[in-house]
Amino acid sequence: MLKYIGLFKSFFKASLISELEYRFNITVRLFTDVLWYAAQLSVFEVIFLHTKQLNGWAIEETRVFMGVLFVTDCLYMLFFSENLDRLGEKVRRGDLDLLLMKPVNSQWMLSCQKVSVAYLGNLLISSGWLIFALSRVSIDPWRVLYLLPMIPIGLILVYSIRFMTSATALYLTRADAVTYIWYQVYRLGTRPDTIYPTALRYAVLSVLPIAFLASVPTQVILGRASPFVLIYGALLATLFLLASRFVWHQGLKRYSSASS
Amino acid sequence: MLGCARLAILQQLEYRFNLIADTVIQPVIVGLVELTLWAAFFHSTGNQTLNGFSREYYLSYAVWAAFVSRISTSWMYESMMIEDIENGTVNSILVRPISFYEYYLGQFFGYKVFTTLLSLGAPVAVCLFADLPLVISRLPLTLGLVFFYLLLVHTMSVAIASLGFFFSRIHHITVAKNITLWMLTGELFPLDLAPEPFRSILIALPFSSAVYRPVGYLTGRLELNTITEGFLSISLGLLVATVVATALWNAGRRRYSGTGA
Repeated sequence: MLKYIGLFKSFFKASLISELEYRFNITVRLFTDVLWYAAQLSVFEVIFLHTKQLNGWAIEETRVFMGVLFVTDCLYMLFFSENLDRLGEKVRRGDLDLLLMKPVNSQWMLSCQKVSVAYLGNLLISSGWLIFALSRVSIDPWRVLYLLPMIPIGLILVYSIRFMTSATALYLTRADAVTYIWYQVYRLGTRPDTIYPTALRYAVLSVLPIAFLASVPTQVILGRASPFVLIYGALLATLFLLASRFVWHQGLKRYSSASS
Repeated sequence: MLGCARLAILQQLEYRFNLIADTVIQPVIVGLVELTLWAAFFHSTGNQTLNGFSREYYLSYAVWAAFVSRISTSWMYESMMIEDIENGTVNSILVRPISFYEYYLGQFFGYKVFTTLLSLGAPVAVCLFADLPLVISRLPLTLGLVFFYLLLVHTMSVAIASLGFFFSRIHHITVAKNITLWMLTGELFPLDLAPEPFRSILIALPFSSAVYRPVGYLTGRLELNTITEGFLSISLGLLVATVVATALWNAGRRRYSGTGA
């Protein structure tokens, strides 16, 4: 464990030095994410000009949902997104070979090698929005503490699903199609699950638990879902993480080096 | 240019599953997500209409917006242009008897025509099956407007790609541009739902011809005058984009020293 913490510190430092070489890039990324937040918010802000509630969600509650979504998304982008997006390219170019030779867990190495420190600024903005949104709803303040386990659970589930889709690069020559599908599946998580028809709702809560990205955590802190859903979420996160390890190991058995 | 179009089609046919995912699966999922949102809206409010249009109009809009937006965006070819300039592969294009603009325009249009033909069946089938508003006779003019808009998209892409002569790593500018357009085109919601003055500004901009105008016209939400206005606003936008793209490209070329790809 200490070895991995030490390694992660080194990765963070190397990523920071690398990112600070391109300061304009950091600014553009910050601006891009702010645009994405604005796009997501604009849909609901416009809809709520014409209605007071959307399948049981008022505008203030929807803003909390968006805040949780922004924070979880930001953490995913910070730690995992760049690494997992490049997995397919690493497989095709043979860069995976060097990584597999290292005396550390290859899945961890692949997933955590690069920290997108540019998103630290976005984390401030998204957290700020969440705090603003929470200040406008009447909830028991202690319920906000449920976010401490719920956000990591959502993060692990999103990471596991994304890792499994990225790992298809070991099975297919090009996994771009699976990546396209992943982005659309992710979009399912950017809406409260209660707006979906029953069959789809069950899917996003079990088979493809993208609802844990923001919808379930928000419902827990708003008091609409029992905190016991935390146990369900933790079990699901463990299951999906183990599944991602299985997919990875099976994929490695099929992997033949691209001769680096 | 027809040769370039053919090249683009053949390249896409190499990875058929990727093609199907991009042209059919993606927009189906997006359409499904947006359909559920509008269905939930009408279920919650109990209203029969919103802004004078019934639930069916919004569902039809959601279905078509998902597909038309796939046609009117440019991620892939813009990324390819940027990469060519960044890694020096542009050298091989510069020595050809065809301009960089034309080379990628041929590929871009070839790809878009092919994927449009592949993907169009799905929204038509959904609208016919679910009895959603659709004026099929308006489809040719709708596509005409979208393809004219693609000229603007391509010109903007060349302008952004030209920034590759000045900066390294401009991929995020592409992302920022596409997210901005996502908001301006009407893909997220029909632009006439926005409050004033945003509504007038958004509709007046040429980007409304990417999704809002063509989808509105096709589903019967808007009338013919909106198409003619669309052509006009795109023409003005194209003029501005051409000036900017030409200036950036020429300045970039003067600065560029081939890295010998």
